[in-house]
Amino acid sequence: MSEAIISVEHVSFAYEEEGREAVRDVTLSIPRGAFHAILGQNGSGKSTLAKLINGLYLPTQGTVTVCGLDTKDDQNTWEIRRRAGMVFQNPDNQLVATIVEEDVAFGLENIGVPTEEMPGRIEKALADVDMLPFAHRAPHTLSGGQKQRVAIAGVLAMRPEAIIFDESTAMLDPRGRKEVMAAVKKLNQEQGITVLWITHFMEEAVNCDRVHVMHDGQIALSGTPEEVFADPDKIRVYRLDAPPMARLAQQLRQAGMPLGQGILTVDEMAKEVCRLCK
Amino acid sequence: MALNNITLGQFYPAESVVHRLDPRVKIILLIALIVAIFLAQNLLAFVPVVLFLYAAARLSTVPFPMLIKGLKPLRFILILTFVLNVFFLQGETPLLDLGFTVIKKEALITAVHYSLRLVLLVLASSVLTLTTAPIVLTDGLERLLSPLRVIHFPAHEMAMMMSIALRFIPTLLEEADKIMKAQTARGADFESGHLIQRAKAMVPLLVPLFVSAFRRAGDLAMAMEARCYHGGEGRTRLRVLKCERRDYIACAVMALLIAAVVVLSRLY
Amino acid sequence: MQVTLENVTHTYQPGSPFQATAIQNVNLTIRDGDFLALIGHTGSGKSTLAQHINGLLKPTQGRVLLDGQDIHAKGYDKKEVRRKVGLVFQYPEHQLFEETVAKDVAFGPKNLGLSQMEIDERVKEALARVGLSELDAEEKSPFELSGGQMRRVAMAGVLAMRPQILVLDEPAAGLDPQSREDMLDMIASLHRQGSTIVMVSHAMDDVARYATRAVVMDKGAVAMEGAPEEIFRHGETLEKMGLDVPSVCKLGLQLKKMGLDGMENCFREEQAVSAILALWKGGKGHGAE
Repeated sequence: MSEAIISVEHVSFAYEEEGREAVRDVTLSIPRGAFHAILGQNGSGKSTLAKLINGLYLPTQGTVTVCGLDTKDDQNTWEIRRRAGMVFQNPDNQLVATIVEEDVAFGLENIGVPTEEMPGRIEKALADVDMLPFAHRAPHTLSGGQKQRVAIAGVLAMRPEAIIFDESTAMLDPRGRKEVMAAVKKLNQEQGITVLWITHFMEEAVNCDRVHVMHDGQIALSGTPEEVFADPDKIRVYRLDAPPMARLAQQLRQAGMPLGQGILTVDEMAKEVCRLCK
Repeated sequence: MALNNITLGQFYPAESVVHRLDPRVKIILLIALIVAIFLAQNLLAFVPVVLFLYAAARLSTVPFPMLIKGLKPLRFILILTFVLNVFFLQGETPLLDLGFTVIKKEALITAVHYSLRLVLLVLASSVLTLTTAPIVLTDGLERLLSPLRVIHFPAHEMAMMMSIALRFIPTLLEEADKIMKAQTARGADFESGHLIQRAKAMVPLLVPLFVSAFRRAGDLAMAMEARCYHGGEGRTRLRVLKCERRDYIACAVMALLIAAVVVLSRLY
Repeated sequence: MQVTLENVTHTYQPGSPFQATAIQNVNLTIRDGDFLALIGHTGSGKSTLAQHINGLLKPTQGRVLLDGQDIHAKGYDKKEVRRKVGLVFQYPEHQLFEETVAKDVAFGPKNLGLSQMEIDERVKEALARVGLSELDAEEKSPFELSGGQMRRVAMAGVLAMRPQILVLDEPAAGLDPQSREDMLDMIASLHRQGSTIVMVSHAMDDVARYATRAVVMDKGAVAMEGAPEEIFRHGETLEKMGLDVPSVCKLGLQLKKMGLDGMENCFREEQAVSAILALWKGGKGHGAE
């Protein structure tokens, strides 16, 4: 069994101004190199959870450990943020510099990487997300998907072990979503970077290792995508929707068609239909 | 979309020697040149300054019309300075009798002197801003002011603020354009009416713009924290400013220029 | 009522170094009762096109006609266009500005110069139409509401002008699945109540479910126009333009590649169910022979 890189134990958190707990007694463990997704409607507490992992918020109860470091210990803060980077929702509101390359450098400057080392790291990070040709562009001339990939490069340059994506595709068009999703999958597979993917797009969760459904501050459902989406009616209770193919499969099964279990994608559905109809 | 290609300030991107000079050196050179302009006591002493500016402008490859664009807003002040001086200054040598008044030679020279000083000041700063990107300029200012940290002058914070402002100006302009259109679609009128009506009509634009700016600021602060930003302490930099031969040469030329201005001022 | 775009071309910042033609030679008619979907990826010109429908942008070339009259002709009252054609921008909640929900919704009607009584009535009606009649509109600030509610208030602000044509730019962008569903249902019900709807979207499943007609924009020109079923029959072409197709169409294309025909005309979930069941029953029958 591989070690847990992110471990959340019985964590609760309440915003000072609200009093109500946004996250309630959440326990979660993400093994090194895994790709986990957290699903949930707006206000379910999923973004709050992300910020707890990165040490932007500190738990009112329980413990969050990242790479063995407790987020509550002040001395760990910067090390945790370097090792578990974060990419946010709004592509416009997370780029700091007026030139792509300098934005990627921002994190490196903050953690005191020597100047000589920076250009190499920046170049590699930009190349990893296919943004090297844009190194000298101004962020506001880029598309949403490109901006998000620059944000990812900014985190990558700091050589993180895990990256938390807090609804990083919510404001993108389908093309931008595909670009970002592809880049992240590549990082996970080729570089073994652990990914925690927070989203409300079901299609984005079908290929990950494990899905956690958050509802009302708690983890309501956890399992492989096949397990979680097996029953579309169940997921609707949490104001979410199953991926289209899972819905279709359910209707066909109800009409008596003996489809196999765990159909989530078009390919899986096509194979099953061919098996039964040809 | 319409405002996507907005350029900030009046930076003219090119690869000239003047562009490549260290921004700190350029700022110091500008200050020195301003001093020289004020040291010049007669028209002859302006000659080295004019030559220097001419050389800088040629080397910078900035087109001439762009250079003098900075003078346009000043044209009335220039004319006024000139006319007032010509007509109202006293002198001894009559030059031209206009009937109602006599223009004196000394008055004319002083008028030319003052106007020329103004023109040169504006041109000198234009050369700096045309050849230095705002962000590089900010960088240069930060380094120049950083010794003031001992008296708790927030040089780094100031530069960071400037740089974020530069980054967000295009974004907010685009947003303002969008909000304005959205309110126009609801029948708002930003163009007609008297002053107070127009000021009132700005409320539906300004409130959403401020709300958005605050929201962005909150997001950005969080993103910066997540990327380990904790002020200027212990920070390294991607761009390290380094003085090279051309910078030393420029400084040496400037030193000679000031000497020449002083000597020429005395000579006359 | 009918809006016609005649050979409309729009160039941003003409004559400057940044000159960019966003749409070129577009011809389009919006008829009474349409639920028209404007499809295209970012930068295809669909938002620019949408802003021509209510006269916010003036064509560089060509004409925009409202019931046969050129809206940019001298003497034509622009307010007339704004009254008849409502435009809801992307993320419209970002334009809210008043102290109370009621005041914000009243902004449009007030600009039309209506009487206070008429304004109050319209505010109430508009809030009811977006499903917010329960809200204490006189007291609540729009900034205290949830994201989904704020968007509804912003939409009510446009509906209060009682437009006959409602143009919506990505009305469901950024919403979670349930709010998205609610939003689209609401738009569908506005359509049923007689509003003409123009919806800019890149969510093809939504287009398949709601639209009666679709226009595909590509590189600033109209690339395809027709009923959704006709458009989605050209799934491969759409994919070449970088656009999605409804997931049911993707399945149909995939099955075709695998040698199984019969889903060519499916683009909605219920159609797929019956088509696959037919295939299955046919297949079984065939196998039994």
